[in-house]
Amino acid sequence: MKRGPATGALGLIYALTVLFLLLPLAVGVAYAFNTGMMGKQVTRFTGLTLAWFPAAWNDLSLRRAVWASLVSASWVAVLSLAVGAMLGHAMVRHPSVTVRRVLSGLSYTLLIVPESVLGVSLLLFYSETGVPLGMATLVMGITPVEIAVVALIVRARLLTLDPAIEAAAADLGAGPLRVLWLIVLPQLAPALAAAGVMAWTFAFDNVVIASFLATPQVSTLAVYLYGSLHYGPSPAVFAAAAAVFGVTLVALCLCLVLLARARSLGKAARAL
Amino acid sequence: MAAVPALWLGAVFVVPLVLTVAVSFLGSSFAGIDDRLTLDNYRQAASGFYLAVFGRTLLFAAMGSALCVALAYPVALFIAGLPERWRLRALVPVLIPYFASFLIRVMALGMVMSRGGLAEAVLNALHLHRGALDVLNSPAAVFIGMVYVYLPIAVVPILVVLERVPPALTEASRDLGAGPLRSFLTVTLPLSRPGIATAVLLTAVPMMGEMILPDLLGGGRGLLMGKALSSQYLEAQNYPLGSAMAVLVLAAVGGIVALLARATRGFDGGRP
Repeated sequence: MKRGPATGALGLIYALTVLFLLLPLAVGVAYAFNTGMMGKQVTRFTGLTLAWFPAAWNDLSLRRAVWASLVSASWVAVLSLAVGAMLGHAMVRHPSVTVRRVLSGLSYTLLIVPESVLGVSLLLFYSETGVPLGMATLVMGITPVEIAVVALIVRARLLTLDPAIEAAAADLGAGPLRVLWLIVLPQLAPALAAAGVMAWTFAFDNVVIASFLATPQVSTLAVYLYGSLHYGPSPAVFAAAAAVFGVTLVALCLCLVLLARARSLGKAARAL
Repeated sequence: MAAVPALWLGAVFVVPLVLTVAVSFLGSSFAGIDDRLTLDNYRQAASGFYLAVFGRTLLFAAMGSALCVALAYPVALFIAGLPERWRLRALVPVLIPYFASFLIRVMALGMVMSRGGLAEAVLNALHLHRGALDVLNSPAAVFIGMVYVYLPIAVVPILVVLERVPPALTEASRDLGAGPLRSFLTVTLPLSRPGIATAVLLTAVPMMGEMILPDLLGGGRGLLMGKALSSQYLEAQNYPLGSAMAVLVLAAVGGIVALLARATRGFDGGRP
Protein backbone atom coordinates (compact mmCIF):
# COMPACT_ATOMS: atom_id res chain seq x y z
CA MET A 1 0.00 0.00 0.00
CA LYS A 2 1.49 3.33 -1.03
CA ARG A 3 0.28 6.37 0.86
CA GLY A 4 3.30 8.66 0.78
CA PRO A 5 3.06 11.73 3.02
CA ALA A 6 -0.01 10.48 4.93
CA THR A 7 1.84 7.32 6.00
CA GLY A 8 4.78 9.45 7.04
CA ALA A 9 2.58 11.64 9.25
CA LEU A 10 0.92 8.58 10.78
CA GLY A 11 4.32 7.04 11.43
CA LEU A 12 5.41 10.20 13.21
CA ILE A 13 2.27 10.19 15.41
CA TYR A 14 2.88 6.51 16.14
CA ALA A 15 6.49 7.15 17.12
CA LEU A 16 5.60 10.12 19.35
CA THR A 17 2.79 8.19 21.04
CA VAL A 18 5.05 5.23 21.76
CA LEU A 19 7.62 7.67 23.15
CA PHE A 20 4.95 9.32 25.33
CA LEU A 21 3.86 5.91 26.62
CA LEU A 22 7.27 4.33 27.18
CA LEU A 23 9.45 7.23 28.30
CA PRO A 24 7.86 7.66 31.75
CA LEU A 25 8.20 3.90 32.29
CA ALA A 26 11.88 4.04 31.44
CA VAL A 27 12.26 7.01 33.78
CA GLY A 28 10.47 5.11 36.54
CA VAL A 29 12.85 2.17 36.14
CA ALA A 30 15.83 4.53 36.09
CA TYR A 31 14.74 6.03 39.43
CA ALA A 32 15.11 2.56 40.97
CA PHE A 33 18.88 3.11 40.59
CA ASN A 34 18.84 6.59 42.10
CA THR A 35 20.60 7.05 45.45
CA GLY A 36 17.95 9.49 46.66
CA MET A 37 18.29 11.67 49.70
CA MET A 38 18.03 10.50 53.30
CA GLY A 39 16.27 7.32 52.23
CA LYS A 40 13.64 9.14 50.16
CA GLN A 41 13.19 9.28 46.41
CA VAL A 42 13.96 12.70 44.87
CA THR A 43 13.47 14.11 41.36
CA ARG A 44 17.17 14.96 40.99
CA PHE A 45 19.60 12.13 40.30
CA THR A 46 21.93 11.98 43.27
CA GLY A 47 23.99 9.02 42.12
CA LEU A 48 23.72 5.52 40.72
CA THR A 49 23.31 2.59 43.08
CA LEU A 50 22.13 -1.00 43.06
CA ALA A 51 21.59 -0.94 46.82
CA TRP A 52 17.81 -0.50 46.67
CA PHE A 53 17.21 -3.93 45.18
CA PRO A 54 18.62 -5.87 48.15
CA ALA A 55 17.04 -3.23 50.44
CA ALA A 56 13.63 -3.97 48.90
CA TRP A 57 14.27 -7.70 49.19
CA ASN A 58 15.16 -7.38 52.87
CA ASP A 59 12.17 -5.17 53.70
CA LEU A 60 9.92 -7.57 55.58
CA SER A 61 6.63 -5.72 55.05
CA LEU A 62 7.41 -5.37 51.33
CA ARG A 63 8.15 -9.07 51.10
CA ARG A 64 4.95 -9.99 52.93
CA ALA A 65 3.00 -7.76 50.53
CA VAL A 66 4.61 -9.44 47.50
CA TRP A 67 3.76 -12.85 48.93
CA ALA A 68 0.12 -11.84 49.52
CA SER A 69 -0.02 -10.55 45.94
CA LEU A 70 1.40 -13.80 44.57
CA VAL A 71 -1.03 -15.94 46.57
CA SER A 72 -4.13 -13.84 45.81
CA ALA A 73 -3.29 -13.42 42.11
CA SER A 74 -2.78 -17.18 41.74
CA TRP A 75 -6.13 -17.96 43.38
CA VAL A 76 -7.85 -15.32 41.27
CA ALA A 77 -6.26 -16.72 38.09
CA VAL A 78 -7.32 -20.31 38.86
CA LEU A 79 -10.87 -19.39 39.89
CA SER A 80 -11.54 -16.91 37.11
CA LEU A 81 -10.05 -19.32 34.57
CA ALA A 82 -12.47 -22.06 35.66
CA VAL A 83 -15.55 -19.84 36.00
CA GLY A 84 -14.66 -17.65 33.00
CA ALA A 85 -14.12 -20.65 30.72
CA MET A 86 -17.54 -22.04 31.70
CA LEU A 87 -19.07 -18.62 31.10
CA GLY A 88 -17.38 -18.19 27.71
CA HIS A 89 -18.41 -21.70 26.66
CA ALA A 90 -22.02 -21.18 27.73
CA MET A 91 -22.13 -17.81 25.89
CA VAL A 92 -21.40 -19.61 22.60
CA ARG A 93 -22.64 -23.18 22.97
CA HIS A 94 -25.55 -23.11 25.43
CA PRO A 95 -28.67 -24.52 23.68
CA SER A 96 -31.01 -21.79 24.98
CA VAL A 97 -30.87 -18.40 23.23
CA THR A 98 -32.16 -16.63 26.34
CA VAL A 99 -29.41 -18.09 28.52
CA ARG A 100 -26.78 -17.10 25.96
CA ARG A 101 -28.16 -13.57 25.83
CA VAL A 102 -28.38 -13.15 29.61
CA LEU A 103 -24.83 -14.44 30.10
CA SER A 104 -23.45 -12.17 27.35
CA GLY A 105 -25.22 -9.21 28.92
CA LEU A 106 -23.75 -10.16 32.30
CA SER A 107 -20.20 -10.40 30.91
CA TYR A 108 -20.42 -6.98 29.30
CA THR A 109 -21.90 -5.54 32.50
CA LEU A 110 -18.84 -6.88 34.35
CA LEU A 111 -16.67 -4.73 32.13
CA ILE A 112 -18.67 -1.51 32.38
CA VAL A 113 -19.10 -1.27 36.14
CA PRO A 114 -16.25 0.97 37.36
CA GLU A 115 -13.99 -0.79 39.84
CA SER A 116 -14.49 1.86 42.51
CA VAL A 117 -18.25 1.24 42.40
CA LEU A 118 -17.77 -2.52 42.67
CA GLY A 119 -15.22 -1.98 45.44
CA VAL A 120 -17.59 0.01 47.67
CA SER A 121 -20.41 -2.44 46.90
CA LEU A 122 -18.29 -5.38 48.02
CA LEU A 123 -17.19 -3.55 51.16
CA LEU A 124 -20.82 -2.75 51.96
CA PHE A 125 -21.89 -6.33 51.19
CA TYR A 126 -19.25 -7.91 53.42
CA SER A 127 -19.86 -5.46 56.26
CA GLU A 128 -23.66 -5.93 56.13
CA THR A 129 -23.42 -9.72 55.99
CA GLY A 130 -20.75 -9.77 58.70
CA VAL A 131 -18.25 -11.75 56.63
CA PRO A 132 -14.78 -11.03 58.05
CA LEU A 133 -12.35 -9.61 55.48
CA GLY A 134 -9.36 -11.77 54.61
CA MET A 135 -7.65 -13.54 51.76
CA ALA A 136 -10.86 -15.29 50.63
CA THR A 137 -12.92 -12.09 50.39
CA LEU A 138 -10.06 -10.33 48.60
CA VAL A 139 -9.76 -13.13 46.03
CA MET A 140 -13.51 -13.31 45.47
CA GLY A 141 -13.73 -9.55 45.06
CA ILE A 142 -11.11 -9.43 42.32
CA THR A 143 -12.58 -12.34 40.31
CA PRO A 144 -15.55 -10.62 38.53
CA VAL A 145 -13.45 -8.44 36.20
CA GLU A 146 -10.96 -11.24 35.44
CA ILE A 147 -13.83 -13.66 34.75
CA ALA A 148 -15.06 -11.24 32.08
CA VAL A 149 -11.57 -11.09 30.53
CA VAL A 150 -11.26 -14.89 30.44
CA ALA A 151 -14.85 -15.36 29.17
CA LEU A 152 -14.39 -12.95 26.28
CA ILE A 153 -11.09 -14.56 25.19
CA VAL A 154 -12.62 -18.07 25.39
CA ARG A 155 -15.73 -16.87 23.56
CA ALA A 156 -13.64 -15.33 20.74
CA ARG A 157 -11.68 -18.58 20.35
CA LEU A 158 -14.79 -20.81 20.48
CA LEU A 159 -16.44 -18.79 17.72
CA THR A 160 -13.59 -19.81 15.38
CA LEU A 161 -13.97 -23.53 16.21
CA ASP A 162 -16.02 -25.75 13.93
CA PRO A 163 -19.03 -27.16 15.87
CA ALA A 164 -19.23 -29.97 13.28
CA ILE A 165 -16.20 -31.62 14.89
CA GLU A 166 -18.00 -31.71 18.25
CA ALA A 167 -21.16 -32.99 16.55
CA ALA A 168 -19.13 -35.71 14.83
CA ALA A 169 -17.64 -36.80 18.17
CA ALA A 170 -21.13 -36.91 19.68
CA ASP A 171 -22.38 -38.97 16.72
CA LEU A 172 -19.58 -41.42 17.30
CA GLY A 173 -20.87 -41.95 20.82
CA ALA A 174 -18.95 -39.50 23.01
CA GLY A 175 -20.92 -38.04 25.91
CA PRO A 176 -20.98 -34.24 26.44
CA LEU A 177 -18.18 -34.37 29.05
CA ARG A 178 -15.97 -36.47 26.78
CA VAL A 179 -16.55 -34.08 23.88
CA LEU A 180 -15.55 -31.23 26.15
CA TRP A 181 -12.46 -33.02 27.42
CA LEU A 182 -11.23 -34.58 24.16
CA ILE A 183 -12.38 -32.10 21.51
CA VAL A 184 -13.06 -28.63 22.94
CA LEU A 185 -10.46 -28.33 25.70
CA PRO A 186 -7.39 -29.23 23.59
CA GLN A 187 -8.39 -26.68 20.97
CA LEU A 188 -8.95 -24.04 23.66
CA ALA A 189 -5.73 -24.78 25.57
CA PRO A 190 -3.51 -21.99 24.17
CA ALA A 191 -6.30 -19.40 24.54
CA LEU A 192 -6.91 -20.59 28.10
CA ALA A 193 -3.22 -20.32 28.94
CA ALA A 194 -3.06 -16.78 27.56
CA ALA A 195 -6.25 -15.83 29.42
CA GLY A 196 -4.82 -17.28 32.63
CA VAL A 197 -1.60 -15.26 32.31
CA MET A 198 -3.63 -12.12 31.64
CA ALA A 199 -5.97 -12.70 34.59
CA TRP A 200 -2.97 -13.35 36.82
CA THR A 201 -1.21 -10.16 35.69
CA PHE A 202 -4.29 -7.97 36.14
CA ALA A 203 -5.10 -9.52 39.52
CA PHE A 204 -1.53 -9.01 40.71
CA ASP A 205 -1.80 -5.37 39.71
CA ASN A 206 -5.28 -4.67 41.07
CA VAL A 207 -5.24 -1.55 43.24
CA VAL A 208 -8.81 -0.36 43.50
CA ILE A 209 -10.67 -3.46 44.71
CA ALA A 210 -7.68 -4.58 46.77
CA SER A 211 -7.45 -1.25 48.60
CA PHE A 212 -11.09 -1.61 49.70
CA LEU A 213 -10.79 -5.23 50.77
CA ALA A 214 -7.23 -5.29 52.16
CA THR A 215 -6.73 -5.65 55.90
CA PRO A 216 -3.60 -5.00 57.95
CA GLN A 217 -3.01 -8.77 57.89
CA VAL A 218 -3.74 -9.33 54.20
CA SER A 219 -2.36 -6.49 52.13
CA THR A 220 -1.02 -6.81 48.59
CA LEU A 221 1.98 -5.15 46.96
CA ALA A 222 -0.29 -2.79 45.01
CA VAL A 223 -1.94 -1.61 48.23
CA TYR A 224 1.48 -1.24 49.88
CA LEU A 225 2.80 0.82 46.93
CA TYR A 226 -0.36 2.97 46.92
CA GLY A 227 0.02 3.66 50.61
CA SER A 228 3.74 4.42 50.38
CA LEU A 229 3.18 6.89 47.52
CA HIS A 230 1.23 9.15 49.86
CA TYR A 231 4.32 9.99 51.89
CA GLY A 232 7.49 10.31 49.76
CA PRO A 233 8.44 6.70 49.00
CA SER A 234 11.92 5.27 49.41
CA PRO A 235 13.74 4.32 46.21
CA ALA A 236 13.37 0.71 47.43
CA VAL A 237 9.70 0.98 46.43
CA PHE A 238 10.82 1.91 42.91
CA ALA A 239 13.24 -1.02 42.92
CA ALA A 240 10.48 -3.44 43.93
CA ALA A 241 8.18 -1.96 41.30
CA ALA A 242 10.89 -2.22 38.62
CA ALA A 243 11.54 -5.86 39.53
CA VAL A 244 7.83 -6.64 39.31
CA PHE A 245 7.69 -4.86 35.95
CA GLY A 246 10.48 -7.15 34.74
CA VAL A 247 8.44 -10.21 35.76
CA THR A 248 5.35 -8.75 34.07
CA LEU A 249 7.29 -8.25 30.84
CA VAL A 250 8.29 -11.92 30.87
CA ALA A 251 4.63 -12.87 31.47
CA LEU A 252 3.56 -10.63 28.58
CA CYS A 253 6.07 -12.28 26.23
CA LEU A 254 4.77 -15.69 27.35
CA CYS A 255 1.23 -14.51 26.64
CA LEU A 256 2.19 -13.33 23.14
CA VAL A 257 3.92 -16.62 22.32
CA LEU A 258 0.84 -18.54 23.50
CA LEU A 259 -1.53 -16.37 21.48
CA ALA A 260 0.68 -16.72 18.40
CA ARG A 261 0.62 -20.50 18.90
CA ALA A 262 -3.16 -20.38 19.32
CA ARG A 263 -3.39 -18.54 16.01
CA SER A 264 -1.15 -20.98 14.12
CA LEU A 265 -3.09 -23.88 15.67
CA GLY A 266 -6.27 -22.25 14.40
CA LYS A 267 -4.74 -22.01 10.93
CA ALA A 268 -3.70 -25.66 11.08
CA ALA A 269 -7.21 -26.66 12.18
CA ARG A 270 -8.76 -24.73 9.30
CA ALA A 271 -6.34 -26.30 6.84
CA LEU A 272 -7.47 -29.78 7.90
CA MET B 1 -22.52 -25.54 33.26
CA ALA B 2 -24.02 -22.10 32.88
CA ALA B 3 -25.17 -22.31 36.50
CA VAL B 4 -21.68 -22.08 38.05
CA PRO B 5 -20.73 -18.68 36.57
CA ALA B 6 -24.27 -17.38 37.13
CA LEU B 7 -24.20 -18.31 40.82
CA TRP B 8 -20.63 -17.12 41.36
CA LEU B 9 -21.21 -13.75 39.70
CA GLY B 10 -24.54 -13.44 41.45
CA ALA B 11 -22.80 -13.70 44.81
CA VAL B 12 -19.73 -11.53 44.17
CA PHE B 13 -21.17 -9.04 41.69
CA VAL B 14 -24.94 -8.76 41.25
CA VAL B 15 -26.04 -8.98 44.90
CA PRO B 16 -23.48 -6.42 46.19
CA LEU B 17 -24.46 -3.96 43.46
CA VAL B 18 -28.18 -4.41 44.18
CA LEU B 19 -27.44 -3.88 47.87
CA THR B 20 -25.65 -0.62 47.03
CA VAL B 21 -28.63 0.61 45.02
CA ALA B 22 -30.94 -0.31 47.93
CA VAL B 23 -28.78 1.42 50.55
CA SER B 24 -28.66 4.59 48.44
CA PHE B 25 -32.37 5.09 49.29
CA LEU B 26 -31.89 4.67 53.05
CA GLY B 27 -31.32 7.34 55.68
CA SER B 28 -28.07 7.74 57.55
CA SER B 29 -27.40 8.64 61.14
CA PHE B 30 -24.41 8.60 63.45
CA ALA B 31 -25.21 4.98 64.22
CA GLY B 32 -24.81 4.10 60.54
CA ILE B 33 -27.64 3.15 58.20
CA ASP B 34 -31.24 3.47 59.43
CA ASP B 35 -34.22 1.95 57.68
CA ARG B 36 -36.31 4.93 56.62
CA LEU B 37 -36.70 5.41 52.88
CA THR B 38 -35.48 8.75 51.59
CA LEU B 39 -34.16 10.61 48.55
CA ASP B 40 -31.95 12.83 50.73
CA ASN B 41 -28.74 11.10 49.60
CA TYR B 42 -29.49 11.91 45.97
CA ARG B 43 -30.38 15.48 46.89
CA GLN B 44 -27.04 15.82 48.62
CA ALA B 45 -25.07 14.00 45.92
CA ALA B 46 -26.60 16.14 43.17
CA SER B 47 -26.03 19.56 44.70
CA GLY B 48 -23.26 21.94 45.66
CA PHE B 49 -19.80 20.48 46.05
CA TYR B 50 -20.67 16.94 44.95
CA LEU B 51 -22.49 18.18 41.85
CA ALA B 52 -19.35 20.08 40.88
CA VAL B 53 -17.29 16.88 41.36
CA PHE B 54 -19.79 14.93 39.25
CA GLY B 55 -19.65 17.60 36.53
CA ARG B 56 -15.85 17.57 36.53
CA THR B 57 -15.82 13.77 36.34
CA LEU B 58 -18.16 13.80 33.33
CA LEU B 59 -16.11 16.55 31.66
CA PHE B 60 -12.78 14.81 32.31
CA ALA B 61 -14.15 11.46 31.11
CA ALA B 62 -15.62 13.00 27.94
CA MET B 63 -12.53 15.05 27.09
CA GLY B 64 -10.09 12.36 28.16
CA SER B 65 -11.82 9.66 26.20
CA ALA B 66 -12.07 11.92 23.13
CA LEU B 67 -8.36 12.73 23.37
CA CYS B 68 -7.49 9.04 23.79
CA VAL B 69 -9.47 8.14 20.67
CA ALA B 70 -8.03 11.09 18.73
CA LEU B 71 -4.51 9.87 19.54
CA ALA B 72 -5.27 6.16 19.23
CA TYR B 73 -6.95 6.41 15.83
CA PRO B 74 -3.89 7.52 13.82
CA VAL B 75 -1.76 5.02 15.76
CA ALA B 76 -4.18 2.19 14.88
CA LEU B 77 -4.39 3.42 11.28
CA PHE B 78 -0.61 3.32 11.01
CA ILE B 79 -0.40 -0.21 12.46
CA ALA B 80 -3.25 -1.45 10.24
CA GLY B 81 -1.39 -0.12 7.19
CA LEU B 82 1.72 -2.19 7.98
CA PRO B 83 2.35 -5.61 6.41
CA GLU B 84 0.67 -8.29 8.51
CA ARG B 85 3.78 -9.76 10.10
CA TRP B 86 4.80 -6.30 11.40
CA ARG B 87 1.47 -5.45 13.01
CA LEU B 88 1.86 -7.40 16.24
CA ARG B 89 5.41 -6.12 16.66
CA ALA B 90 4.20 -2.55 16.22
CA LEU B 91 1.37 -3.12 18.71
CA VAL B 92 3.58 -4.51 21.49
CA PRO B 93 5.29 -1.20 22.43
CA VAL B 94 1.85 0.40 22.72
CA LEU B 95 0.58 -2.42 24.95
CA ILE B 96 3.61 -2.83 27.22
CA PRO B 97 2.55 0.07 29.47
CA TYR B 98 -0.91 -1.48 29.81
CA PHE B 99 0.61 -4.63 31.24
CA ALA B 100 3.02 -2.73 33.45
CA SER B 101 1.67 -2.03 36.90
CA PHE B 102 -0.79 0.85 37.07
CA LEU B 103 0.95 2.31 40.12
CA ILE B 104 4.42 2.13 38.61
CA ARG B 105 3.16 4.07 35.62
CA VAL B 106 1.47 6.71 37.75
CA MET B 107 4.50 6.93 40.03
CA ALA B 108 6.80 7.37 37.01
CA LEU B 109 4.51 9.94 35.40
CA GLY B 110 4.50 11.85 38.69
CA MET B 111 8.31 11.94 38.68
CA VAL B 112 8.32 13.12 35.04
CA MET B 113 5.84 15.92 35.77
CA SER B 114 7.36 17.03 39.06
CA ARG B 115 9.48 20.16 39.51
CA GLY B 116 12.91 19.61 38.02
CA GLY B 117 11.65 16.48 36.26
CA LEU B 118 11.98 15.31 32.68
CA ALA B 119 8.93 17.18 31.31
CA GLU B 120 10.30 20.47 32.62
CA ALA B 121 13.71 19.82 31.04
CA VAL B 122 12.23 18.82 27.66
CA LEU B 123 9.77 21.73 27.51
CA ASN B 124 12.52 24.19 28.43
CA ALA B 125 14.87 22.73 25.84
CA LEU B 126 12.18 23.07 23.16
CA HIS B 127 11.49 26.65 24.30
CA LEU B 128 7.84 25.74 24.88
CA HIS B 129 8.03 26.71 28.51
CA ARG B 130 10.36 28.74 30.64
CA GLY B 131 11.39 28.03 34.20
CA ALA B 132 9.92 25.56 36.66
CA LEU B 133 6.93 23.46 35.63
CA ASP B 134 4.08 23.51 38.15
CA VAL B 135 1.73 20.91 36.74
CA LEU B 136 1.88 18.18 39.39
CA ASN B 137 -0.84 18.46 42.05
CA SER B 138 -3.31 20.19 39.75
CA PRO B 139 -6.46 19.05 37.92
CA ALA B 140 -4.43 19.23 34.67
CA ALA B 141 -2.06 16.57 36.02
CA VAL B 142 -5.04 14.31 36.78
CA PHE B 143 -6.25 14.77 33.21
CA ILE B 144 -2.83 14.05 31.68
CA GLY B 145 -2.63 10.97 33.90
CA MET B 146 -5.98 9.66 32.67
CA VAL B 147 -4.99 10.01 29.02
CA TYR B 148 -1.60 8.43 29.70
CA VAL B 149 -3.04 5.48 31.61
CA TYR B 150 -5.96 4.62 29.32
CA LEU B 151 -4.51 5.43 25.87
CA PRO B 152 -3.18 1.90 25.15
CA ILE B 153 -6.59 0.19 25.47
CA ALA B 154 -8.12 2.66 23.01
CA VAL B 155 -5.78 1.47 20.24
CA VAL B 156 -6.80 -2.22 20.23
CA PRO B 157 -10.53 -2.04 19.33
CA ILE B 158 -9.89 0.56 16.60
CA LEU B 159 -7.10 -1.59 15.16
CA VAL B 160 -9.29 -4.72 15.20
CA VAL B 161 -12.02 -2.94 13.22
CA LEU B 162 -9.61 -1.28 10.78
CA GLU B 163 -8.04 -4.66 10.00
CA ARG B 164 -11.47 -5.93 9.01
CA VAL B 165 -12.25 -3.09 6.55
CA PRO B 166 -11.88 -4.85 3.17
CA PRO B 167 -9.07 -3.20 1.14
CA ALA B 168 -11.26 -3.69 -1.94
CA LEU B 169 -13.65 -1.02 -0.64
CA THR B 170 -11.02 1.67 -0.24
CA GLU B 171 -9.47 0.68 -3.57
CA ALA B 172 -12.88 0.92 -5.24
CA SER B 173 -13.41 4.42 -3.84
CA ARG B 174 -9.97 5.43 -5.15
CA ASP B 175 -10.75 3.96 -8.57
CA LEU B 176 -13.96 5.97 -8.63
CA GLY B 177 -11.91 9.12 -8.21
CA ALA B 178 -11.87 9.86 -4.50
CA GLY B 179 -8.64 11.31 -3.13
CA PRO B 180 -6.99 9.62 -0.14
CA LEU B 181 -8.63 12.01 2.34
CA ARG B 182 -12.09 11.63 0.82
CA SER B 183 -11.71 7.87 0.62
CA PHE B 184 -10.76 7.85 4.32
CA LEU B 185 -13.60 10.14 5.39
CA THR B 186 -16.35 8.43 3.39
CA VAL B 187 -15.29 4.77 3.55
CA THR B 188 -12.77 3.91 6.27
CA LEU B 189 -13.95 6.25 9.03
CA PRO B 190 -17.68 5.35 8.92
CA LEU B 191 -16.81 1.64 8.79
CA SER B 192 -14.63 1.94 11.88
CA ARG B 193 -17.43 3.41 14.01
CA PRO B 194 -17.87 0.27 16.18
CA GLY B 195 -14.16 0.32 17.00
CA ILE B 196 -14.35 3.97 18.01
CA ALA B 197 -17.41 3.25 20.16
CA THR B 198 -15.63 0.38 21.94
CA ALA B 199 -12.56 2.57 22.47
CA VAL B 200 -14.74 5.31 23.98
CA LEU B 201 -16.39 2.73 26.24
CA LEU B 202 -13.10 1.18 27.37
CA THR B 203 -11.62 4.56 28.27
CA ALA B 204 -14.65 6.56 29.49
CA VAL B 205 -15.92 3.90 31.92
CA PRO B 206 -12.76 3.58 34.03
CA MET B 207 -12.35 7.37 33.85
CA MET B 208 -15.85 7.79 35.35
CA GLY B 209 -14.81 5.65 38.32
CA GLU B 210 -11.20 6.78 38.61
CA MET B 211 -10.13 7.15 42.24
CA ILE B 212 -6.33 6.71 42.29
CA LEU B 213 -5.18 9.49 39.96
CA PRO B 214 -6.78 12.46 41.78
CA ASP B 215 -5.06 11.13 44.88
CA LEU B 216 -1.56 10.65 43.47
CA LEU B 217 -1.29 13.29 40.74
CA GLY B 218 -3.89 15.85 41.82
CA GLY B 219 -2.63 16.18 45.38
CA GLY B 220 -6.19 16.61 46.66
CA ARG B 221 -7.16 18.95 43.80
CA GLY B 222 -9.10 17.74 40.79
CA LEU B 223 -11.31 15.46 42.91
CA LEU B 224 -13.33 12.92 40.88
CA MET B 225 -16.41 10.83 41.69
CA GLY B 226 -14.51 7.58 42.28
CA LYS B 227 -12.37 9.18 44.97
CA ALA B 228 -15.31 11.13 46.42
CA LEU B 229 -17.54 8.09 46.77
CA SER B 230 -14.79 5.87 48.15
CA SER B 231 -13.97 8.42 50.83
CA GLN B 232 -17.65 8.36 51.90
CA TYR B 233 -17.00 4.69 52.65
CA LEU B 234 -13.45 4.74 53.95
CA GLU B 235 -13.36 8.06 55.82
CA ALA B 236 -16.78 9.68 56.39
CA GLN B 237 -18.51 6.29 56.94
CA ASN B 238 -21.65 7.67 55.26
CA TYR B 239 -22.57 4.55 53.30
CA PRO B 240 -25.95 5.79 52.00
CA LEU B 241 -24.44 8.97 50.52
CA GLY B 242 -21.53 7.02 49.03
CA SER B 243 -24.02 4.53 47.55
CA ALA B 244 -26.08 7.32 45.98
CA MET B 245 -22.90 8.68 44.37
CA ALA B 246 -22.05 5.18 43.13
CA VAL B 247 -25.53 4.88 41.60
CA LEU B 248 -25.05 8.26 39.87
CA VAL B 249 -21.78 6.97 38.37
CA LEU B 250 -23.57 3.80 37.22
CA ALA B 251 -26.33 5.91 35.67
CA ALA B 252 -23.75 8.01 33.81
CA VAL B 253 -22.04 4.85 32.55
CA GLY B 254 -25.44 3.51 31.45
CA GLY B 255 -26.01 6.77 29.57
CA ILE B 256 -22.65 6.42 27.81
CA VAL B 257 -23.46 2.82 26.80
CA ALA B 258 -26.88 3.88 25.46
CA LEU B 259 -25.37 6.74 23.45
CA LEU B 260 -22.72 4.46 21.96
CA ALA B 261 -25.31 1.79 21.15
CA ARG B 262 -27.28 4.42 19.21
CA ALA B 263 -24.15 5.63 17.42
CA THR B 264 -23.33 2.13 16.17
CA ARG B 265 -26.86 1.04 15.31
CA GLY B 266 -26.96 -0.89 12.06
CA PHE B 267 -23.72 -2.77 12.64
CA ASP B 268 -24.08 -6.50 13.09
CA GLY B 269 -22.97 -8.31 16.21
CA GLY B 270 -24.58 -5.69 18.43
CA ARG B 271 -21.44 -5.38 20.51
CA PRO B 272 -20.89 -1.88 21.87
